Amino acid sequence: MQSAEKPQRLESLLKAGFERSFEAIAIVGDNGQFIEVNPAVCDLFGLAREELINHSIINFLKLDLNCEQAWHLFWERGQEIGEVQLLCPNGTTRAVEYTSVIDLSPGNHLLILRDITKRRQAAKEELQRQHQRVELFSEVTLKIRQSLQLKEILQTAVTEVQRILQADRVLIYQVFANGTGKTISEATLPTYPAILDVEFPEEVFPAEYRELYGQGRTQAYADVHSPDAALAECLVEFLDEWYVKAKLVVPILQSLNSHTNSQNRRVKPQNQLWGLLIAHQCQAARPWSEFEVELMQQLADQIGIALSQAQLLENLEEMVAERTAELRKVNSNLQQEINDRLQAEEALRRSEEQLRLITNALPVLIAYIDKEQRYRFNNQAYKTWLGLSPSEVSGSHLQKVHGKKVYQQIRVHVEAALSGRTVTYEHEMTLKDRRTHSVSVTYIPHLSEEEGLVKGFFALTSDISDRKAIERMKDEFISVVSHELRTPLASIHGSLKILATGKLGKLSATGQRMLEIADEQTDRLVRLVNNVLDLQRIESGKVNMDKKACNAADLIKKAVQAMQTMATEHGVNLATKSTSFSVWADPDYIVQTLTNLLSNAIKFSPANSTVWLSAITDNEVNRTKNQKQLGCSTTTYVTFQVKDQGQGIPNSQLESIFERFEQVDSSDSRKKGGTGLGLTICRKIIQQHGGKIWAESSLGKGSTFYFTLPALKQQEEDNHEY
Amino acid sequence: MSTKCILLIDDEETIQEVVQVGLELETDWEVLTASSGLEGIAIAKTKLPDAILLDVMMPDMDGIATFSKLKANSKTQSIPVIFLTAKTQIAEQHPFKKIGIAGVIIKPFNSITLAIQIAEMLEWKV
Repeated sequence: MQSAEKPQRLESLLKAGFERSFEAIAIVGDNGQFIEVNPAVCDLFGLAREELINHSIINFLKLDLNCEQAWHLFWERGQEIGEVQLLCPNGTTRAVEYTSVIDLSPGNHLLILRDITKRRQAAKEELQRQHQRVELFSEVTLKIRQSLQLKEILQTAVTEVQRILQADRVLIYQVFANGTGKTISEATLPTYPAILDVEFPEEVFPAEYRELYGQGRTQAYADVHSPDAALAECLVEFLDEWYVKAKLVVPILQSLNSHTNSQNRRVKPQNQLWGLLIAHQCQAARPWSEFEVELMQQLADQIGIALSQAQLLENLEEMVAERTAELRKVNSNLQQEINDRLQAEEALRRSEEQLRLITNALPVLIAYIDKEQRYRFNNQAYKTWLGLSPSEVSGSHLQKVHGKKVYQQIRVHVEAALSGRTVTYEHEMTLKDRRTHSVSVTYIPHLSEEEGLVKGFFALTSDISDRKAIERMKDEFISVVSHELRTPLASIHGSLKILATGKLGKLSATGQRMLEIADEQTDRLVRLVNNVLDLQRIESGKVNMDKKACNAADLIKKAVQAMQTMATEHGVNLATKSTSFSVWADPDYIVQTLTNLLSNAIKFSPANSTVWLSAITDNEVNRTKNQKQLGCSTTTYVTFQVKDQGQGIPNSQLESIFERFEQVDSSDSRKKGGTGLGLTICRKIIQQHGGKIWAESSLGKGSTFYFTLPALKQQEEDNHEY
Repeated sequence: MSTKCILLIDDEETIQEVVQVGLELETDWEVLTASSGLEGIAIAKTKLPDAILLDVMMPDMDGIATFSKLKANSKTQSIPVIFLTAKTQIAEQHPFKKIGIAGVIIKPFNSITLAIQIAEMLEWKV
């Protein structure tokens, strides 16, 4: 019986289990029809057992396929555990997890159903909540990231965290390098005291805490008063002061920028505790969910990133500011340079304009010609004189501007200027009015300062036609005056001379004397007129000395011959000494000079005295004490000297006697019949020969007059015919 | 001094007179006078004087032109010509010397020594 009792007991137990099971257990047939169901199934479907028996479970499954297909699909899944959606008669849908055992007995299959609707709903709600939080987190992150202003970032963070967590207070506590710190941002419900700018005491925030936070520690306290929290008493007291019941603390770590060390190796970035993100619950204790902790950590990370960005920005701003300052300085310097250059250019422009105005206003041709003989500058006169526009002249060659014929004439002067010599010459030029004008042209070479090479020359051309015309008129006038004065003088002079012979009749002694006076004074007048005209002609530079090789001895001989009569009349002996030197001179003018000096010497010599006339070379002169007066060291000179034994000339007058109308004694002109122009003429003549004239004298002993003339060397003499 | 015939061509009558008187007093030369170049050339051609004293500055035909014509004529070209001029400047006399004249006598001249001056220039025996 025992063997019979055991099955019965088991059946009884199974039946009790079947009836009392919280799990919905059903036996279904091949078509899914309920064969047997326990009460839990009735509860699940919301139907009585009778309402379920013989009804297929397929009718209650939320499937889009028809019943048969659905059942087969359900059944053929062959799954022992699965999930289905049940459509309950009351219209609700339930999520059901099932476990099936096929063919518990042929045609009887076991189904165990569990209602997981609430679980699913909770999971769904949690998922939605998480999604919402992720969205919020993203939103906060975005807001944080969107701002580059640190203060704004922090305030956004605490405000948003406070909103998301529904915390009573959220704050950010910054930890300074020296270990102190203070609350720099907070979002606190109005009912609780603000903690902004508060510094945590050392005892509640010791160095070891900072170190732990620096390593990333997060602290979540659901109840700060709970013994499980194991908070220090002082900390609890501090928290009470701010009504804190629960708190969540996450560190804000800032990534230090990578940099290059002294070994020039790149150092990896490191994290440093910048501060803490703290959430307080003040109303009551609060357990902090993992999500909340995670959210706080993530937000703290984002704040850290934002801080790094802000620091980068700050650094960048500093760099930008520095660079901007540098650029400003450079720009300022550049601007100053530009201003200076502009001012210089303006000054140069004004100067050029002024120069151009001046050059254009001047009635002369002004130009600069380069070493290629091309015009580089020319004034307006080129237009008015020659009818050439600046473009026709600028850059053009001299030959193109003046024509081949004129160019051939001026070429020698151009080449002289380009060899570095200043050249002045007179020239005929046909101007725009088709008239030929006399012009004076001066070329001044332009030498480079460094090498002293000729870079070009400045050309100045002035119209001297008027001056030339005046000179011609003056010449004509002098010629006429000379003729008109001399003609009556010739008649008077000739007549007096004839009368003085007495051959036309004798006069009384007084009459004869008067005749002599008239004759002498006529002579004097003739000499004066001659000398005045001589001087005028020489001074005007009109006299062209007909220079040639002359023998000094011949010149002396001619002068002596001319003056011998006068010397004889005065009882003066003429003595000469000369070797055969040759000089480069106009013989007529040199004889005139010598006769003038001889005439003076004779006039001022006592009777029976001697006047010496000689010529010596440099070599001989250099032995004399007066060699310095020659003033010529490279050219050989011949020195003529006329020495007398007259009364002498005071030293103070040795120079002035060569000035016009200057005589040692003002009565000399009357006594000696001089004109006061003879020595002046002599000096002019000698100067025009490139020589020098001077006098030496000893009072009471006599005077010596010297003059020099360029000597001809033997080779030069051979080349000249005379 | 042997007898010579001198032709003086000068537009100034007083000069003609002074020269004529001076030369005739000092010498036995015959002195002919003409008041212009044309007249002088005509006389020279007919009288063939031994020398001609020729004033440089004359109206119509000056001394240079007269000299040229005298030299261009076969009858007169060998007659030595001495210029009488008021141009005292040496430089002014340079051109005269280059055209082949016998000499230059500057006005005013010494009428008494004029004959000697002429004789020296023409290398006449005095």
